[in-house]
Amino acid sequence: MKPIATTRSATGIPTGRLAVWWVLASEVVIFGGLLGSYVMHRLGHPEWGAAAAHTNTWIGAFNTFVLLTSSLTAVLAHQAAERGDGKKAAKLLMFTMLGALIFVSVKSFEWTMEIREGFTITANGFWSFYYTAAGLHAAHVIAGAVIMGFIAHDAWRGRELQRVELIGIYWHFVDVVWIFLFPLLYIAK
Amino acid sequence: MSQEQHHINYVKIWAILVVLLVVSVVGPFFGVKWITLITAFGVAVVKARLVVQNFMHLRIEKRIIKWALGTTLVLMLLFFAGTAPDVMEHHGVNWTNDAALAAVERGVEEGHGEVADDGHEAVGESDDGHEAAGRRAVEHEEAATAGQEFDAKAAFNTTCSVCHGTAGDGKGPGAVALDPKPANFTDSAFWETRTDEEIFKAIKEGGAAVGRSPLMVAWGATYSDDQIHALVAYLKTFRKK
Repeated sequence: MKPIATTRSATGIPTGRLAVWWVLASEVVIFGGLLGSYVMHRLGHPEWGAAAAHTNTWIGAFNTFVLLTSSLTAVLAHQAAERGDGKKAAKLLMFTMLGALIFVSVKSFEWTMEIREGFTITANGFWSFYYTAAGLHAAHVIAGAVIMGFIAHDAWRGRELQRVELIGIYWHFVDVVWIFLFPLLYIAK
Repeated sequence: MSQEQHHINYVKIWAILVVLLVVSVVGPFFGVKWITLITAFGVAVVKARLVVQNFMHLRIEKRIIKWALGTTLVLMLLFFAGTAPDVMEHHGVNWTNDAALAAVERGVEEGHGEVADDGHEAVGESDDGHEAAGRRAVEHEEAATAGQEFDAKAAFNTTCSVCHGTAGDGKGPGAVALDPKPANFTDSAFWETRTDEEIFKAIKEGGAAVGRSPLMVAWGATYSDDQIHALVAYLKTFRKK
């Protein structure tokens, strides 16, 4: 027996999906505010260019590739779930989680290198934004991967298959945030 | 809705995204600013759109979701428009953001140090930027009391070049944020419209003292009169006929 809110749908959108969209609408404000602040400070501080020159474009590009690919497996998982193939959906979600693991591992390797060189969060304004924005994003990656684990567990047993789409929508949003973070932190030097 | 979804070739969308990623990485190699801006941010918008429309299926989502997301984006634009002018500009009519100007100056000086290939040291310095500034001030004081051995060129490069440029052309890195722009000492018109006394006074008491830009700071507390005369003489070496 499910709570009534689960099955009721005044907007014509399944309640779970509507909730995810609302979460994302608030995430737009969180990341939008952060990235907007970064852009205005970057434009007002020409000296940040010198600090930004130290970020590693290749690592950033590799991680972008990893996230884009994990988005592909997430949407393929959604497709499998729609066809009722819970096992395939679970497997594809596992691939997405693998992508998250690679992303976070590369990130920790990258940060270790940078911190060793003295580029800490307090080094200057650029590095403060760098660690805050990428850190908040990485926290979303980790949270998404954990939730994905629960959903994959259920999907494998053919339960709650609609949730595969929900975590997918969230995951693609995290991907979109990175699509903007990548040029802001790694390309514009 | 589900039927329409199956028409999307997800692998093809992914391939396009990867190609666009390559484009944004290759862009800066041309070394042209506007090309980099397009390949970085123009491409990012296209990529985001592809993901949102095809992977998140916003294209076939109910309209209320588009409105909700659109509203938050508009709020972000309002936020940006409301705050960016104060953050991006460091001075205006009757106000200056001294902390930001100082941060730019400090950062630019460190940036010069960084070019000497060792980022490690340069950033180490940035941690105690105030200390470094303190050291510089002490050095200036010592020079002032010592009187002799004043190197006008070195002093110019330390204190003036951030805005006026090491070539004296008014195009130092700090000049980007300034309006009116710093004086260009290579311009013969500059020298024809000013006397030595005026320039001396501008350095000693600041630009406002001679009716020029108040962004030109007073250096009377840092340099002695003799040293300022030496600086004026050095500025003349920039002049081109």
